[in-house]
Amino acid sequence: MIDLLLTRYNYVAVVLLLGIGAYMIIESTNLVKKVVGLNIFQTGIFLFFITSAYRVGGSPPVLTNEGPYVSPLPHVLILTAIVVGVSLTAVALALIVRIHAEYGTLDEDVLREVRANE
Amino acid sequence: MSPIPIPIDGGAVLTPLQAGMTLTPLQAAILAFVLGCALVAAVLRDVLGVIIASAAYSLGIAVLWVILRAPDVALTEAAVGAGVTTLLFLLTIAKTVRPSDERRLELPSPRTAVVVLAFVAVLAATVPAMPAIGSPDAPVVDSRVTEYYLENAYEQTEVKNVVTAVLAAYRGFDTLGEAVVVFAAGVAVLLVLKREVFV
Repeated sequence: MIDLLLTRYNYVAVVLLLGIGAYMIIESTNLVKKVVGLNIFQTGIFLFFITSAYRVGGSPPVLTNEGPYVSPLPHVLILTAIVVGVSLTAVALALIVRIHAEYGTLDEDVLREVRANE
Repeated sequence: MSPIPIPIDGGAVLTPLQAGMTLTPLQAAILAFVLGCALVAAVLRDVLGVIIASAAYSLGIAVLWVILRAPDVALTEAAVGAGVTTLLFLLTIAKTVRPSDERRLELPSPRTAVVVLAFVAVLAATVPAMPAIGSPDAPVVDSRVTEYYLENAYEQTEVKNVVTAVLAAYRGFDTLGEAVVVFAAGVAVLLVLKREVFV
């Protein structure tokens, strides 16, 4: 158990971050907090990828360094994912601003009531 | 980072603890900081507090990328994750409201606790199946794709940063798709907000 924690600590952190992210998405009634939860969930997955690329004593995958290198491919995938994640956040926040302009609230429960009464 | 010398080929059979990177105090501190920030973001009710915690979280994650030898990802995370995303969140709450509530902390309802704990338990069950962190024979590090990129990137693209070579050359269409996503997101934001300039 301790051995597992000492050699796979990043994966344990991934599990906890995914848990915290999922918790924020489910539990929070505030829409902005839900988006923060999505971001934390996403970063947990990034940590999984970047950890899988790591090797002990490896240098960054820039060929002016001495080898061995860490794997470059997960880095590339995550670079793309970060940018896509920001685009996603921007659209979600724009929708939130619009929802607030239309309904005057960001609370999920209040929003549901207002929509039911329409 | 690790003082333990590792024979790449041949040699004695390594125990998982020797093959992988052991937890250094720096790593432990950064992981604790990151998890702490995420927890604070999860329990605070004040949205401004949540945004500040998530910005600190992003910065901690960027440091973690540097430790894991991913400088390109660290730069992007610090600029985009901690910078642009935080700015977007702040713009959003400037245009909307911060809920003023008596309660300062948000505590889990039993329903959510059960769902999240079940989710975490299922994920945690997969952790022992992972290779030790940094083990040289881990599937990703040892794969032929990784070897191919590292051996041929300079010869074929004349770019010494292999991450850039893969991003812009080998997976150029992927990056084009990414640009299309960013463009589509920009158009979507303008459409949703019914305006031509986002101020």
